[in-house]
Amino acid sequence: MLIANRGEIALRVIRACREMGLATVAVYSDADRGALHVPHADEAYRLGPAPAAESYLRGDLILEIARRSGTDAIHPGYGFLSENADFAEACAVAGVTFIGPPASAMRVLGSKTKARQAADAAGMPRVPGSVTGLADAEEAVRVAAGIGYPVMLKAAAGGGGKGMRAVFGAAELPAAFAAASSEAERSFGSGEVYLEKLIERPRHIEIQLMADEHGGCVYLGERECSVQRRHQKVIEEAPSAVVGEELRRRMGAAAARLALSAGYVNAGTVEFLVDAAENFYFLEMNTRLQVEHPVTELVTGLDLVHMQLRVAMGEPLAIAQEDIVLRGHAIECRIYAEDPENNFFPSPGLITRLVQPGGPGIREDCAVYEGWRVPLDYDPMLSKLVAFAPTREMAIDRMLRALDEYVIGGIKTNIGLFRRILMDEDFRSARIDTGYLERLLAEGTALPQKAVLEDVVALAAALFSASTKSEAVVAEVAVESRWAVAGRREGLRL
Amino acid sequence: MTVWLDVGGKKVRVSLPGSREGVVAAEVDGRALTADVRMLRPGVMSLVVEGRQYRCVLDGDGVVIDGRRFGFEVEDPRSLQGRRGAGAGTDGPRAVKAPMPGRVVRILVKAGDEVGQGQGLVVIEAMKMQNELKSPKAGRVAKVAVAVDDTVGSGDVLVVVE
Repeated sequence: MLIANRGEIALRVIRACREMGLATVAVYSDADRGALHVPHADEAYRLGPAPAAESYLRGDLILEIARRSGTDAIHPGYGFLSENADFAEACAVAGVTFIGPPASAMRVLGSKTKARQAADAAGMPRVPGSVTGLADAEEAVRVAAGIGYPVMLKAAAGGGGKGMRAVFGAAELPAAFAAASSEAERSFGSGEVYLEKLIERPRHIEIQLMADEHGGCVYLGERECSVQRRHQKVIEEAPSAVVGEELRRRMGAAAARLALSAGYVNAGTVEFLVDAAENFYFLEMNTRLQVEHPVTELVTGLDLVHMQLRVAMGEPLAIAQEDIVLRGHAIECRIYAEDPENNFFPSPGLITRLVQPGGPGIREDCAVYEGWRVPLDYDPMLSKLVAFAPTREMAIDRMLRALDEYVIGGIKTNIGLFRRILMDEDFRSARIDTGYLERLLAEGTALPQKAVLEDVVALAAALFSASTKSEAVVAEVAVESRWAVAGRREGLRL
Repeated sequence: MTVWLDVGGKKVRVSLPGSREGVVAAEVDGRALTADVRMLRPGVMSLVVEGRQYRCVLDGDGVVIDGRRFGFEVEDPRSLQGRRGAGAGTDGPRAVKAPMPGRVVRILVKAGDEVGQGQGLVVIEAMKMQNELKSPKAGRVAKVAVAVDDTVGSGDVLVVVE
């Protein structure tokens, strides 16, 4: 098995392969010779320079390494080539199994517009609205009456909130239509406006699917990923606090129907928006293993990568839908090298200290170590910390405990942000939606912190300073020049 | 030995006995403080003070206790001169450099402006994130070395404050 990826997901797949007795081939860029996925593999080959376009995105080089190493199959992980239908096709042509759906299914479900057509054909609910631009305010009123208020006017050519107006009743609509249209005209050179039902405070809930080559397809429950920042997931959990048996069955069946309609095989995820009345609306499909798959593994007791590999070997699914039972609650925090105090700016660099958490119910999918320099060429995710417990409340408290144990030194991380979210009353009561985190950040309140005696801090600092003469800090200074150290301090102070 | 420290802007003097493992009778600004000290591995230490346990982790120029990081600086009189010589003090001109490669999106000051410590100088964008670079000290802008839309490399000088 060749793993065409890096970081924690490459390591996670390598581990599954070793458990199944499969020899593993790692690939690495020049920035990643020392990355942790390399020393875990049986074989390792250099791909190219650090930029992804010259290394992890070079499907041709990867297939060449596959040929040289006698590889039977390629696991793409997530990101990079994982949703590249041309690469999946090239693998098939080269006689190498691509661990994922066939290129044809990827083409249908991976593109947003085609996926919407497939969703309509499969009878999937979508956010109701006019598909084309509205001629005038009268037409807008007519369409809105059919959909039901509140509605959202949106610029056809736009994005970024320009030309958007929320409308809560027919009386406001003509004025809002004129305003949205003229704003769209000014911003995008086109006044074309369409209308969609306004989903107030939607939750992001997704269904994990696994399909085999024999027409079998099961859904493995849902994940809630409503805690997002700039459309990036920050915390994921399974199950969702608001999804009951009945809703899970309806969403799961709809997602499976969509996958089967396109001849989908292997792991995939169908994303939905869910409103307060438990209506769900199709968003998009991710035709790969997701970052947040561990929470599903913990609550179902299944190993998704093992399942992916068995499906790719042509085996039928070993589990039936009625045997899939969700147990307990799992929460995942995506730990990033970024600075929450400075607009979440990426903070790559040398990890000078790493003290990792452990104990009951803690899983960490991580590929960094003390002494590893986080490259600035890739996504700065360091680790996925996952807590599993019998209930949601216990999982939250377990995660807080693990975060207290965790120390990552040398670079800035978002660990403090997770403490704040997990202690927030709204999060703890599951009153979350896709706008929740931005609102919390706008509040800007400080985190309640345990008091530490100033004298104890001073003593600890003095003891460390007194002992540095023989230890690590001295060694660090010795290898880097004084200028490099001064430069880094200066960088940190900015 | 005696260690002079600056902990979060506050000067303290810590006197340590010769042996620094086990029960250590120290003094912090003249106040007696007895702690049971155990270095677990380089940079990770357990302190027990009156029955309360503190796990302390050294992180560069800071110590992490209970998830909080406390920055500190050693004010060893012997090395003071050397550091001044390296230009790390608050005297003299200071260059504000790009922390990573990016593009200049906004310049908030011009040469000759009086700026306060922490005032925003330049906004650069990298990895689709905007980052406002702030003045390291109060002073006057001696030079703005970049223009809007310039591409800058890591360590490039953006602004000099004197």
